[in-house]
Amino acid sequence: MFYRLSGVHHADYVSDSRIYKVPADRNLAVFILVIGLAAPFIIPSLYLNSYILPWLIWSAAALGLNLVTGWAGQLHLGYAAVMAVGAYSAIHAARFGVPWEFALIIGGLASSVIGSLFAFAALRVKGLYLALTTLAMQFVMDWVLTHSPAITGGSHASLQSPTLALLGQPITSDAGYYYVAFGWCLMVTIFMLNLKRSALGRALVAVREKDYAAAILGVNSFYYKILAFATSSFIAGVSGALLVAAFFFLAAPEQFSVAVSIQVLAMVIVGGLGSIIGTYFGVALILLVPGIVNGIFATTSANLGLQVDVETLAHMPNAVYGALIVIILLIEPLGLGKLYGNIRDYLMIWPFDQFRK
Amino acid sequence: MTLKRHIRTAALAATLTAGALGASAQEKEPIRFGLCFDISKSYSFVSPQVAQAAQDLAMYTNDNGGIGGHPVEIIVRDHGNEPQRGVECYEQLKRDGVFIFYFLSTPVTNAVLPRAMKDQTILMQNFTGRGDAVDGSVFEWVFPIGPSYWQQAANAVSFVKGQLGGDLEGRKIGFIYLDYPFGQEPIEILRTLSKKEGFDLELYPVPLPGSDQSGAWSKIRRDKPDYVISWLLAGGHVVASREMRRNQFPIDRYITSNWLNEVDIVNIGLQEAKGLLRTTNVAGGQDVPIVQTMLETYYAKGKGSGPENLVRDVYYNTGLAILAPGLEAARIAIEKHGSPLTPESMKDGFESIVEFDANGLMAPLTVTAEDHGGGGKTRIEQWDGETWVPLTDWSADYLDVVWEVIKENSSKYE
Repeated sequence: MFYRLSGVHHADYVSDSRIYKVPADRNLAVFILVIGLAAPFIIPSLYLNSYILPWLIWSAAALGLNLVTGWAGQLHLGYAAVMAVGAYSAIHAARFGVPWEFALIIGGLASSVIGSLFAFAALRVKGLYLALTTLAMQFVMDWVLTHSPAITGGSHASLQSPTLALLGQPITSDAGYYYVAFGWCLMVTIFMLNLKRSALGRALVAVREKDYAAAILGVNSFYYKILAFATSSFIAGVSGALLVAAFFFLAAPEQFSVAVSIQVLAMVIVGGLGSIIGTYFGVALILLVPGIVNGIFATTSANLGLQVDVETLAHMPNAVYGALIVIILLIEPLGLGKLYGNIRDYLMIWPFDQFRK
Repeated sequence: MTLKRHIRTAALAATLTAGALGASAQEKEPIRFGLCFDISKSYSFVSPQVAQAAQDLAMYTNDNGGIGGHPVEIIVRDHGNEPQRGVECYEQLKRDGVFIFYFLSTPVTNAVLPRAMKDQTILMQNFTGRGDAVDGSVFEWVFPIGPSYWQQAANAVSFVKGQLGGDLEGRKIGFIYLDYPFGQEPIEILRTLSKKEGFDLELYPVPLPGSDQSGAWSKIRRDKPDYVISWLLAGGHVVASREMRRNQFPIDRYITSNWLNEVDIVNIGLQEAKGLLRTTNVAGGQDVPIVQTMLETYYAKGKGSGPENLVRDVYYNTGLAILAPGLEAARIAIEKHGSPLTPESMKDGFESIVEFDANGLMAPLTVTAEDHGGGGKTRIEQWDGETWVPLTDWSADYLDVVWEVIKENSSKYE
């Protein structure tokens, strides 16, 4: 009724390899794109620059992690370290006078190189062992950052980012920063949407499901694992650089600590491994909900005139937020993306599904 | 004593209420302080006390007519020590019209600093953030009132010099620190001073969170430094005290930064901690007039902003010392420029603070447009088994050396 389809049925390969198999999905995507483009004019600047902007940049970053974890099936607990490599290389390049376009690419490539080192670990160990190896690499990176004043900028370890400028145009307005983040997130999303239906994407899935079975099929898992790590690291590097250039304006080691790595992984898992729309939901839940719940609690207790002491007020939202994650994962272990998929599939043939029974 | 105390209290009340002109505190636009704290994660050992002190002081100010008739409003939010949420809190409160902020977390302060500089809002940065921000000529909107870690370390060295007969030549000072930016910050200044004064500096890094120090202390046992300066936090001090006992290092040769409170002392053991030294810019204990006032006016009647045991904690005094200069700045601003308070007048208010010690609560502060730190005076206090006993007067030493480092770093901003 809503989707004007009786289900997704393919009659030929062309229809099977379409990005949007349901026209309504495509229309929804176009609608969201238009909203995204018009956002600076319709959304108040507070929400634009302190909620939507970080949401978009983190979504791009989380999509990169989803590539390596969701598609290629390699657990990665050192993603923030890879983002840090990109952020610091890009900022140092920009401070050195390299135009930002190239600085971002330098950041991405530097991340790719370092990130591929993780892949060499992935070639030898799997699963939880890989998770631990990547975690160790995160700690190595933390140590390097806190012990290299030359990289992190002096004894107080904070490095100012030069003003972002693209195509010779300095970017200083809220709308400008937003469009940069939006553009990057859009590029990553389009890449990921296409990855799904390309030979590369299918090879990654084959490696994820069973790497030696993939090898029997003629998929070189060595090559694809490195490729997955390198690509995802490139995305991480540019996202990390943009996060600093367009949101924090200053890089500090704490912004890329082990806690952040775990947070990004949580975004991907809560959102749904291998799900693009789920990643957006996951990022929103992990990144934005704590602040929003906090605000709601503060306003409610103030309006009701409750004398709640500050500690209770700070811990209650955390409890609610934790409960929320548990509940979501209990309802749908495959994450928010799958939850959305379930609703869509139900509505796809509603109300005619009743006749089947 | 009580009479004297009452007179002092009245004097403080007068300072805070000067210019009230009998107007009711509720009629005028409130002066708002946005305190975005980490109450739920890493810094929860200090932020509740600071928040409670701020709320108590605001309540006391309001009960006495506010500042120039304006009530003081304290908004406390949690950011969980995450830079992203700190920025969110800043932007949210900024939209609500707040222009005085305090974050009590170095990562979050660092993340907000470029925004505060651009938006021209007042960023209070006491005890957190980058040390070179005391350079008011570069960081115009940042006010790290109180000593920077650099100045604290320099003052500690100066104390050691005094104890060792005024000569450090050939002596040995150990520095035990958490091996991340907080702990590493004083190293540069200590190195400079070791060259200047000719003492040997031995560094003893300890991995986070400071629970494994056995390697460091056995090295200390071998090196036999005359004093050990410590940049550890909370539980780290307790571990250090155990190691000191095991390695027979006298605890009265152990000087901590200002981050050591009664909870740590109790964990070390009241008697075990006897002799322990602490640099501080805040008078510890409950004999401080303003703390007495809070206890008598509110806590005796059960009307405090939180549990009374948090008041009996030096971080409560620290909290008062953090907010008091802010209130004083607002008072001066309104007196000089009239209402309403604006970021510009508040900045001028801060920069006009002269010899302000909140009635014996802290080291006298003189803030200028050049020095946003207020002079960086500290003193050394010793734990005598029951309370903190000051060993020295408020002073700031090696100012030239410290400022050289400050200037060198601040010149690299941007």
